[in-house]
Amino acid sequence: MQAIDYFEVECPEKRGGEYYRQIANDVLLDHNLLRVIQKIHIYIDPKVPIFVAVGVLKKVTSVVKVGDIANINPQEGKLTLAISDETWLAPMLKIFWDRFGKDHVDQPDRFTVILYGVKAEVREIEEIVIADPSQALKKDLVYALRCICPEGFRVRSENYSADKFSFVASEDLLTDAGLALVREKFALMGVTP
Amino acid sequence: MILVPITYKGGIYRHSEIIDLIEDLGGYIVQKHMIAQEVVLQCFVPKDDVELIRAIGKPLAGEVTDSPLVGTEIAIVSMSLEIHHLPHPSCDIAEYVRRLGAKSNMVGMARGVGKRIAGINDEERDVINEHDIAVYLLGNFEHCIEHKMPVLLRGIDVPVVLCGGPDKEVLERIVEPKVDGYVGNVGRFMHRTKESEELTKLDEIIGEITRVLSKRREELAKDPLSVSPARLMDVIREKVPAILDVTSPTPLTVQMSGLRVKLPFDTYAEVLRKTEIEDGIKIGDIADIEPSRMRDYILVKVRPFSETNIVI
Repeated sequence: MQAIDYFEVECPEKRGGEYYRQIANDVLLDHNLLRVIQKIHIYIDPKVPIFVAVGVLKKVTSVVKVGDIANINPQEGKLTLAISDETWLAPMLKIFWDRFGKDHVDQPDRFTVILYGVKAEVREIEEIVIADPSQALKKDLVYALRCICPEGFRVRSENYSADKFSFVASEDLLTDAGLALVREKFALMGVTP
Repeated sequence: MILVPITYKGGIYRHSEIIDLIEDLGGYIVQKHMIAQEVVLQCFVPKDDVELIRAIGKPLAGEVTDSPLVGTEIAIVSMSLEIHHLPHPSCDIAEYVRRLGAKSNMVGMARGVGKRIAGINDEERDVINEHDIAVYLLGNFEHCIEHKMPVLLRGIDVPVVLCGGPDKEVLERIVEPKVDGYVGNVGRFMHRTKESEELTKLDEIIGEITRVLSKRREELAKDPLSVSPARLMDVIREKVPAILDVTSPTPLTVQMSGLRVKLPFDTYAEVLRKTEIEDGIKIGDIADIEPSRMRDYILVKVRPFSETNIVI
């Protein structure tokens, strides 16, 4: 867990807490979330029962633009794009098709895309936004927290903002005391919610 | 003649000789798997002839190992079929018992999760009761296990081995009503069991299942069954040809005191009842033929000698 500044699992049952630390570690690792989370504090009390997870997110990487994944070669009547990272190729092609039409977009091989007769500057093409990875990361985070949380705790209160998140879950109705734990656990990390 | 469960693993070349040998010795092949160039036979053979099979199999690169779980059907009871419990640890354990010869079925509960909300319905209860043993896989908190176990064990009359996160001693103390076996430190986890200590834990589960089943076998030996389920399997395979058209991996699943026949109950129950085993004794005379709660299969429960006065 070297990438996370603060990672605590608090539980009145010592052994249960250790297992949940392992579960949280596995799930965050599986979903590649360690690079997104800066601090996380998990509190579980099976007697109440309640599960609380609060955390601080790192500033998520900015959007992906055409210029980030391709080198553009302007030639007469066409622009040749040499792709360096295939990850975002599909959404990029989709955007090109929508914007320029399929007749103007050709992909002769995996790493080359050619735009024919496109009236746009190289700079303009480079600035086209292909994807926003933070959206996918948010989805992963929501899914991961639901995975970590005991399955029977189905009454949930979840809050996700750009830099913080809180997740409270229980089997029973959530009380004010339960929700107040969010502030308390944020304070343990030295953060105001 | 005492039959013991073994697994024979060897090359496909001349394996039919081994099959013939086992059958000639009076043994029964419960399951046969052909995997690429390898053949795996799970069978019951006479105790005195194990060495003979080992000796004859040796030149064919055959290996004979004891498989205490051959001829048993085990229910792996998972609290749900969600990502929280699958594929680890439920599938890991189900697969491990399968390797040792058991036929394992995964029973995913509809409302097994949680503490106060946990429950078992009649279908789940009946399906679990159709097995030789149930392995309950629980979570990590002793408070939850203590709270929900009385509910989850309601109506269960097969032996139960319970796996949970707390230590074995804690499980033994908190679980009411008491069950037959306990394995501690195997709760919910989200990674594959591949470390050596995790594999040791799987072995511990197998050890506990084997211990409980041996006890059950001893009880059965006091009042022996009218016919061995493995023999009954052979009879059905020979006399009810419809079973040969069933595409399920184990059309006839051998249990300790019965058999699951994967044919529709309405059509084949009467056929089975009237099938003769030998000397005019029919299956219906020495076994109860009941509908199974699993699909529309048939459950054959062999009655003991004390009830039928017949041993074949």
